[in-house]
Amino acid sequence: MTAVTDTATGVTHEVVLSTSDGVENTLVCPPDLSILEAAADAGTYLPSMCGQGTCGACAAHVSAGSYVLGEHDPSVLGSDPTEGTVLLCRTTPTADCRVELPYDRTRIVDSPPPVRRATVTAIDVVAEATVRLRLGLVADELGMAAEFDPGQFLQVQVPGTEELRAYSLANCGNWDGEFELFVRVQPGGLFSTWLTTTAAVGDVVTVHGPRGAFGLRENGLRPRWFVGGGTGLAPMLSMMRRMAEWGEAQPARLYFGVNTVAEVFAQDEIAEVVAALPDAAATTCVWHPEPGASWDGFVGTPVDALVRDLAGSGEPPDVYVCGPPAMVDAVERALAAAGIPAEQVRAERFTAS
Amino acid sequence: MFCYQCEQTDRSNPELLGCSTAKGNCGKDDTTAALQDVLIHVTLGIGQYAARLRALGGVDPAYADFGAYALFTTLTNVNFNPTRFVTLIAEAAALRDTAKAAYEEAARAAGQEPEQLDGPATFAPASGVGALVAQGAAVRVDAGLDVLGADVVGLRSLNLYGLKGVCAYTHHANVLGFRDETVDAGIEKALAFLAEPPTELDPLLEHAMALGTLNLSVMELLDRANTESFGTPTPSGVRLAPVPGKAILVSGHDMGDLKAILEATAGTGVNVYTHGEMLPAHGYPELKAYPHLAGNYGGAWQDQHSEFAAFPGPIVMTSNCLIEPQPAYRGRIFTMGPVGWAGLRHLEHADLALLVKAAQALPGFPEHAEGAADGPGEERTLTVGFARDAVLGVADQVIEAVRTGQIGRFFLIGGCDGAKPGRNYYSEIASQAPDDTVLLTLGCAKYRINGEDYGTIGGIPRLLDIGQCNDTYSALKIAQALAGAFEVGVNDLPLSLFVSWFEQKAAAVLLTLLSLGITNIRLGPTLPAFLTEAAVDVLVEKFAIKPIGDVQEDLAAAMAGA
Repeated sequence: MTAVTDTATGVTHEVVLSTSDGVENTLVCPPDLSILEAAADAGTYLPSMCGQGTCGACAAHVSAGSYVLGEHDPSVLGSDPTEGTVLLCRTTPTADCRVELPYDRTRIVDSPPPVRRATVTAIDVVAEATVRLRLGLVADELGMAAEFDPGQFLQVQVPGTEELRAYSLANCGNWDGEFELFVRVQPGGLFSTWLTTTAAVGDVVTVHGPRGAFGLRENGLRPRWFVGGGTGLAPMLSMMRRMAEWGEAQPARLYFGVNTVAEVFAQDEIAEVVAALPDAAATTCVWHPEPGASWDGFVGTPVDALVRDLAGSGEPPDVYVCGPPAMVDAVERALAAAGIPAEQVRAERFTAS
Repeated sequence: MFCYQCEQTDRSNPELLGCSTAKGNCGKDDTTAALQDVLIHVTLGIGQYAARLRALGGVDPAYADFGAYALFTTLTNVNFNPTRFVTLIAEAAALRDTAKAAYEEAARAAGQEPEQLDGPATFAPASGVGALVAQGAAVRVDAGLDVLGADVVGLRSLNLYGLKGVCAYTHHANVLGFRDETVDAGIEKALAFLAEPPTELDPLLEHAMALGTLNLSVMELLDRANTESFGTPTPSGVRLAPVPGKAILVSGHDMGDLKAILEATAGTGVNVYTHGEMLPAHGYPELKAYPHLAGNYGGAWQDQHSEFAAFPGPIVMTSNCLIEPQPAYRGRIFTMGPVGWAGLRHLEHADLALLVKAAQALPGFPEHAEGAADGPGEERTLTVGFARDAVLGVADQVIEAVRTGQIGRFFLIGGCDGAKPGRNYYSEIASQAPDDTVLLTLGCAKYRINGEDYGTIGGIPRLLDIGQCNDTYSALKIAQALAGAFEVGVNDLPLSLFVSWFEQKAAAVLLTLLSLGITNIRLGPTLPAFLTEAAVDVLVEKFAIKPIGDVQEDLAAAMAGA
């Protein structure tokens, strides 16, 4: 009701955006725009993806002021969101607001994500319904640097359509123009169908980004624990690989969960990054091993393994979680029960598309 | 946190000058500040044992070497990476324990009972980051303020900050392979002094002057390190417009890192540009011999946000002065040496192939761009390299010009630049200085001045750039040579000093100037927050230090010799 009144009268509202490292940016939000749109109009590009309230990439917290939160998928906000948790692409202020952004200033850029071309360099089926896709940038006026922070995602345009699909990057920023993605094959899915029936090495695709808010707390001194469900392993691999490449010494633990033995992948890559870090260990968790399947690893969910290890751990770690919403919710509940403060948890939920 | 070591420190609360919130004005957060305080404290403990070991004849360069590096990392705008400090604290504690064992063994071998030391010598860094950060509060620079008073704490700080500057210059010499036993011994002794500092003002002031003397030796060592490694600077033109092609930008002060980058890029087609305080590199024969040392890009450190964002290649920060990297270039800025920022890639000399790869992957300068060397508009150059040998090479002309009255006075305008509007004072001094003055510049303050044409006097350019702040020794040699030629003391020369300070290297240089008895220095844009009124009174009384004031009045006074 208020929003309608505001639109009618043309009232604008001031929105203070505050990043997790304490940088504030004030913008004026017209009545007919979401905070995300108003920021972009002002040349401030906040992490986001779908723009329609269904991915959770622009989640933030309104700590003061009033607003209308438009139509959205509630599952992307977690099972028990605190009051004020919003999706900025669906949030229209009805008074001056203060918004706490769950990421550092470094994730806000002053231009829209670049749109570039990349060549398919490898397509490998690495497990049941899981494909590793490697892309190489085509050199253009921006050069061919693949610059991104671990945790960020790349949007790939489905060839022949205007549709974009987002995948977290599993490798690290590099100067060879390489992107490594893990794709969960969805039967009948637009991108999955292209990938499994048409795509071939040498194809050229259009990519948007990389971008995204999810990532390492760069100046975090606590141990770093990583929890990845399915292809949610990708950003965890990227973060651990970056730690290894840069010689970062925080103790690292990885919990990688899949449903069946047939879905297990990236075991060599995990072993390699664990070996490259001074204090790291990984547990691959299979929830329901197939009868007769050979599996002598952990049986259960990554939440089970996490709870087991939290009980005996020393300093409470920073925890990074990526996977399906239900798994992320379960991890957050387990961490809260173990007394890990919410500000030490960074999560990204992905939904099938 | 509490920190008041640099010029941009928070002065909003007159009761408590200094940055005391979660993040300092430089961008250093309270965790990093606390860890730096702990690192300094443990490093003082190394000095306690190393100095005593040396007195017994035991010498190990590792102690002063680590001390120089560790204190350099805590200088303003050098290292903001808390994880680096956790590692350094552990290394410092291990080295201190090594020094302790060596000292105790040497004492027993000499038939003495080892002293049982306390303070930093026995300080045990906590395990666990939270506890370590909590320890910082007990050892930070204003610890004991309520008991000791601001005068004592301020003068202790002057000693610590002066020592930080000494350590930074020493590290620059050390990494070029140049060492000096007197300097190493001096650093160990100064660390030990600050581990057990007196509570009276006189010995603190006396020690600050001794640090100034030590710093003179350090600057002489650094001068030797630079000139023997890269040749004696000669006047050289520097291209200011970029040339088309792939490019790397090198900022900071470390000529050794620049040379390593020039070597790594030789024959790759990648051009190397200097930024900020690297500008004087173009005067060194061994560096300018690389044809791909293409020019200088940008100005002083405080403009790096816009300049780095616009630079189309990787950027390397080799020493101070780094400020928070912006998203626009965060993925392509690298740190080297003592520098660090969480989330930035740190490079060793062995990693430079990666830098070359980055340069080749990034766009570089296009052809015929506006402002480029092959583009529209007039190409601009600067001249650098008027170090001591170049100036003294024309000493006869200079002396003659002074004798005939063509040169009325020399103005040394030296030190750091910064963002504060008050720093316009220095450009005003230069632009309003009478035509018979010669302007000698030193440090990045030159960027406020060197865009103008000041003409010549008797064929000698009126504006002579001596070099980096690291080249203060060169300026002193010029002054001393002129004093010798005129058979007067330096204070009797027609020379006025306008010093702009920002960080702790400037504190060390100031102490050197004072220890040489040089008076009438005009210091700005503000006086250090750590110097109390009483301390300033002493400096004014003994050395006639003057805060900068009105440009016209200061110029008139300077021309009158005051």
